[in-house]
Amino acid sequence: MTTLSLRAVPNGRVDMTGVLPETLAGRSADDIAKQIIHLAGSPMMLGDLFEVDADETDMLVIRTDSDRLDCLGKGMSTGSVRIEGPAGHYAAQGMRGGELDIHGDAGDGAANGMMGGLLRIRGNAGDWLGAALIGDRTGMAGGVVAVEGNAGDRLGDRMRRGLILVRGQAGDACGARLLAGTLVVAGGCGTLPGSGLRRGSLILGRRPEAIPLSFNDSGRVDLSYLGLLHRHAESFLPGLLPASTQAHRYMGDLAFGGKGEILVLA
Amino acid sequence: MRRQQIDSPCVQGEGGVIINGVFIDDTYAEAFGMKATRIVITADNLTWARHAANAAFGFATSVIACGCEAGIECELSPTETPDGRPGVAGLLFAVSTKELAKQLERRVGQCVLTCPTTAVFAGCEGEESLPLGKNLRYFGDGWQMSKLIAGRRYWRIPVMDGEFLAEEMTGLMRSVGGGNFLVLARSRSRALAACEAAVDAIARVPGAIAPFPGGVVRSGSKVGSKYKALPASTNDAFCPTLRGVAKTELSPGVDAVLEIVIDAVTDADMRVAMKAGMDAVCGIGAAGGIVRLSAGNYGGKLGQFHYRLREILA
Repeated sequence: MTTLSLRAVPNGRVDMTGVLPETLAGRSADDIAKQIIHLAGSPMMLGDLFEVDADETDMLVIRTDSDRLDCLGKGMSTGSVRIEGPAGHYAAQGMRGGELDIHGDAGDGAANGMMGGLLRIRGNAGDWLGAALIGDRTGMAGGVVAVEGNAGDRLGDRMRRGLILVRGQAGDACGARLLAGTLVVAGGCGTLPGSGLRRGSLILGRRPEAIPLSFNDSGRVDLSYLGLLHRHAESFLPGLLPASTQAHRYMGDLAFGGKGEILVLA
Repeated sequence: MRRQQIDSPCVQGEGGVIINGVFIDDTYAEAFGMKATRIVITADNLTWARHAANAAFGFATSVIACGCEAGIECELSPTETPDGRPGVAGLLFAVSTKELAKQLERRVGQCVLTCPTTAVFAGCEGEESLPLGKNLRYFGDGWQMSKLIAGRRYWRIPVMDGEFLAEEMTGLMRSVGGGNFLVLARSRSRALAACEAAVDAIARVPGAIAPFPGGVVRSGSKVGSKYKALPASTNDAFCPTLRGVAKTELSPGVDAVLEIVIDAVTDADMRVAMKAGMDAVCGIGAAGGIVRLSAGNYGGKLGQFHYRLREILA
């Protein structure tokens, strides 16, 4: 287990791009300390900000009490990273595989453009979780995101594939412009859920204040798919989904083809 | 599997092998390499899963005219199925991948998709795969939805009771079909009772099915016929009604013969299933009217797998 312990709260945002199990594996502590990262846009050595304790395994632990560490797990494809503390913005951005486990809150833009692997957020997530990378047309395209707490606005915006599970609440425009994939929010969400949804499933544990007018009520249905999803979700967030396969279905967004769905479980 | 207790020890000598008074012929069953797949059918309750399975695996006794051989392998509890509902696992065997794919699609499309509350899933992995819901999805007429869960794709097809959920692909396995043994008895009723015990024993072997009605065949066949159009015809050497007019394999005292045909996922499964079935028959023994155990083969020239009865029972 290689451990990086933040010495002090940095005086700017730190870009942690490249600090991954696959890039640090097999290197000595001195060598790892010379890895270049960026503080407020200026290059500096990893050892200037972190105490480094290295070993041979592909497990990386980052101990931090600051939420200024951005791009944690960015582009990660293998191995395991545990963040003991909060994560900054863009955690798991473009992640392809492996597991990133954040024992704290995550900032905005987590799992943007994620393509595979597992992102666990034990606390809350910021806005644009699972959304598109800046300039990209599609959001998260694979993998699983499991959030124990709440998520911010525009959860899963333009999401293309994959699964996002949120035990708490989500903000406004949850599942907006969803292209495909599955988004589960057990604690309910803010306004305009599924706005612009093309295909894919937005599954809500609580009925929102209003379903957008461009969704049509399909009534109460029995979906064996929910049994399958329940079993899968249990391995990430136990108790998140009920074992029942009953849901109230709303199909839409009719302004965008109407092939998607909002399922309200309550 | 509970092992049948055999009172009499196996006797081997100049007179051959005799177990509990049952003479074991020095012969072998000749079996063939086949392509197989396993599917899991679930439903709201076991009754409807069975309805779907019985329909899908019905009329699948022999590849000679059914296209495939199929049967229920076992029933599954909700904890054993992908969607947490009770289900049934079944095996389908065919002579080619193409024929298996055709039969699978037809049978699932006509018998599972149509059956209330059911869903269908792959029951095996394989180096190659077969379409399961891949083409059936078009029944949804554009309203079907795809879901990718844990790397496996599923299709949700809208139907009148909600949705038919079908996994896109299932695995293709190289397997063995046509393992068999013949039960020669003093009467039809005694042959049937022994075969029922054998089928019960085989049903407890994972990876094996006995595809004929009740697992038992009365119309054992030989290759060819006096009629050119027929590829197979009655096995006259084992027909008691033809004694005296055709060359017979029946020893004195044998008045009825029944056959058990087994298809299995692997060679090892076949051996276990054949042994289980024959042990059950031998357990009934001569006291139950069983005279001999024999097997069907084609001189060893057609099938890649030979199962010697005495070797399996040793």
